[in-house]
Amino acid sequence: MKTIAYRASATLLVIFLGLCVFSLLVFAGSKSRGPLEDLAAGVTSKVAYLEKSMAGGYSRTGRAAALQRFDRYRTQTGLLNAPDTLLTGVYDNNTEESYESVTTLEDSLGFKLPIIHFYTAWGSRKDQGFPQLRAQTISDLGSVPMITWEPWLNDFDPAVYPVPGKPSQVNANGLTAIAAGKYDAYIDKWARDAKAFGKPFFLRFGHEMNDPYRYPWGPQNNKPADFIAAWRHVVTRFRLQGATNASWVWSPHPAYTTYREFYPGAAYVNWVGITTLNYGTVAPWSKWYTFDEIFGKAYDEFSHYGKPLMISEIGSLGVGGNKAQWFKDALASMPFKYPAVKAVVLFNNSNDVSTTYKALDWSITLDKPVLTAVREAVGGWHPATASPAL
Amino acid sequence: MRKTDNAALWEFREAATSTFARKATLASLMVAGVFSIGRLADWWFREEHVASLPLYLLLTFIFWWGIARMVIVWVSYLRISKPRWQAPQDGLRVAIFTTSSPGEPLSMFEKTLEACARISYPHTTYLLDDTQDPRFREAAERHGAVWLELVGLPGAKAGKINAALQRTTEDFVLVLDPDHIPFPNFLDEVLGYFRDPQVGYVQVAQAYYNQYRSFTARAAAEQTYGFYGPTQMGMHGLNCAVAIGANCTFRRAALDSIGGHGIGLAEDLITAIRIHAAQWKSIYSPIVVSRGLVPEDLGSFCKQQLKWARGVQEVLFAEVPRLWPKLSFWQRVSYLTVGTYYLSGLTTALFLLIPYLYFWFGWLPANMDFFGFLDHWLPVGLVSLSIYVFVQRWLCHPEAERGLHWRGTFLKFACWPVFFMGFVLSIWDGEIPYIPTAKRAVKQFTPFVRPLLVHQVLFVATLAYVVVRRFYYTPEARLELTSANTWGMVLFAALAFFMTLGGLYAAYQSLKTKAEDPWASVDLTRITDRLQPARKHKSAA
Repeated sequence: MKTIAYRASATLLVIFLGLCVFSLLVFAGSKSRGPLEDLAAGVTSKVAYLEKSMAGGYSRTGRAAALQRFDRYRTQTGLLNAPDTLLTGVYDNNTEESYESVTTLEDSLGFKLPIIHFYTAWGSRKDQGFPQLRAQTISDLGSVPMITWEPWLNDFDPAVYPVPGKPSQVNANGLTAIAAGKYDAYIDKWARDAKAFGKPFFLRFGHEMNDPYRYPWGPQNNKPADFIAAWRHVVTRFRLQGATNASWVWSPHPAYTTYREFYPGAAYVNWVGITTLNYGTVAPWSKWYTFDEIFGKAYDEFSHYGKPLMISEIGSLGVGGNKAQWFKDALASMPFKYPAVKAVVLFNNSNDVSTTYKALDWSITLDKPVLTAVREAVGGWHPATASPAL
Repeated sequence: MRKTDNAALWEFREAATSTFARKATLASLMVAGVFSIGRLADWWFREEHVASLPLYLLLTFIFWWGIARMVIVWVSYLRISKPRWQAPQDGLRVAIFTTSSPGEPLSMFEKTLEACARISYPHTTYLLDDTQDPRFREAAERHGAVWLELVGLPGAKAGKINAALQRTTEDFVLVLDPDHIPFPNFLDEVLGYFRDPQVGYVQVAQAYYNQYRSFTARAAAEQTYGFYGPTQMGMHGLNCAVAIGANCTFRRAALDSIGGHGIGLAEDLITAIRIHAAQWKSIYSPIVVSRGLVPEDLGSFCKQQLKWARGVQEVLFAEVPRLWPKLSFWQRVSYLTVGTYYLSGLTTALFLLIPYLYFWFGWLPANMDFFGFLDHWLPVGLVSLSIYVFVQRWLCHPEAERGLHWRGTFLKFACWPVFFMGFVLSIWDGEIPYIPTAKRAVKQFTPFVRPLLVHQVLFVATLAYVVVRRFYYTPEARLELTSANTWGMVLFAALAFFMTLGGLYAAYQSLKTKAEDPWASVDLTRITDRLQPARKHKSAA
């Protein structure tokens, strides 16, 4: 009996000591991880920048040189927030390792795109911090980065960001938690890194917040007042960190006219973004809408906010109508019909799985008639906008 | 540097005993290690990390192969034990066998035979000679040894041992390599263990006295310190201690029970596994009671390693399956682990290939964030390092042998082509090619250095290719987003380049190492076993 007690206690002691050592190592790891990652991210972007400045002399011949006339928007937040021209841009889903898909599209269109749009989610993973390298890459290519920042809350480490209730319900009342400061550590870090990036960028936070069927930050989990409180809180955290280079794009879905209730106020918004996607007849709930049918109704109301307007996602599927005609109708008269619109961002997504079970292809890269329609429509803009030739 | 006559080397040494507190500390570290490995595994085996499934599986195999081996060694450390010394019975009949072959220096035998004569327990020394050189017979007789002429026997050393067993009758046989200089108390230290009639053989440590003569020698010695300390002590605790061919004392009955000493490239290991399978017990005693020579030049070292790599895998394919039912669980684990040691040649080759697959074909095995990896691997690495350092208290001669053994690591890395070749040869069941020993007069690089040179050239050429491609042929839109992966891989490949420099240095130094007879400066009268006077056999008093 004595031996058993002795052996059992020795075993327990060993396991306890082993666990202590293990916890100590993990603790030390979690404490040093942040600074080490910052260091690594810094080194990575420095090396990328150095390599680019050494390689091939892109400063004179590259894309940035061709986009030089937009440099004033790219480098001054004030001008970006009060533009006197109509900017074009694109989101492309094939940009994991390279923006060649964008330059290929530009070559087909015959003009360069001063805005490059991408999406990133909130969370604790390393790739969920401020996308330093990607923002720098876009900036070095001569464009303004546009970041759609999606407040998914499921990717946060529960040890660092504890929430009451089940982990699966982290998104319920998520915006209230954000407004209450539960995620300030994450927001502040992101804002500081954004400030360190230094150049203006569009920040489209919590887009389509009025769509009750899409995202967890929508009305199914939150009241409009919760959204406003969260938005204001996030903007305030950025201002406290000095990250004034973020240009805030409030971007509701025009199909749900409740959007007025979600407006955070003129002091917290720089741009108003509107999603304008035509699903055609791809699903039972959809039908072919022209651009004017989707956007026209909302235009008057949106322009009353006195902010520059952005078509933050423009696109059409090809099922149920003529895609090239749709783009022609949408873009040709844009500056004349909708003068408050100051940016149009193509939704060139060849693999959209966010809405239907089947992947949807919004891309125009290989669609000659659409490319021609867009090229000709945008080519007709200059007189009205008095902008330099694209 | 001439330290072969360093007095500290010529003293009796023994490893520390294991106490409860030491074992408990070790066990705590292992618990921490096992949890760290669990955490690493939880991170490693995630779907998001798979970039290309075949390459991911390959990388997983390489990485977890190493981890699994490490854990097996840890478990054996838990059983570290040191046999309790027992006074030998009087009147045992003991033979010492040492073999000579054409080309081996006579003066070395003079020293070894003289040292054998000074061994205090009564014994008969036999010189198993096939030199056909009368001076060897004279030397044997001058030092009171029995000269046995055994010419033209197959199976090299083992063949001679088996023939000598036929012609002798002693109950116990110490097989001593001729480059090993035994201490006077050798037999007093080992014979007592044969009081247990189950004990088939007693192995003691192999220690060296020429490790200070070159980088290769020091590195080769460093690779053995842990094995002759904690590793074999752990194997002893599991009744898996292996015979090493030299410094091993056999019970004749044990050798008879398996039809004599095993024959093959790894004859020692064949003998050990057969004796284990015949249900004999093995003893490993972590003591230094002789010192010998370790290869001083890279060519000789690689030749030795190739022979072992080929031989050890022969045991894996030929002996392990045959004897499997007769081995204990831990003997199976042990022989599988020993038998696959040289598989590191294959895993290292694959590991080296990874950055080149990326540079040439753009293949990435895994989408692993480097800092995520570091975060999960570092606890494992730190615990493993702590255990490595902690078990050094069980080295046979800690004052001289402690350390991180970086030379040994460099040399092991540089030997991957040798191990790889051994692996390939054993799959094909091919013969070891004849590699001439460099004549002392003609200094030239050993052919083993060629794969290393090819690797270095490959690295430099690939680096040039990468730089030209990046600077002139990579679209601007791709450059920045691929920078981290590219230069990270360059760093990875550069690490291998740097490690290979160790092997090249060893080869370069081997050109310049002066051939000397290190045994010439050994003064047998200065060998001290005084630390253990109580154990000395009374006949020597």
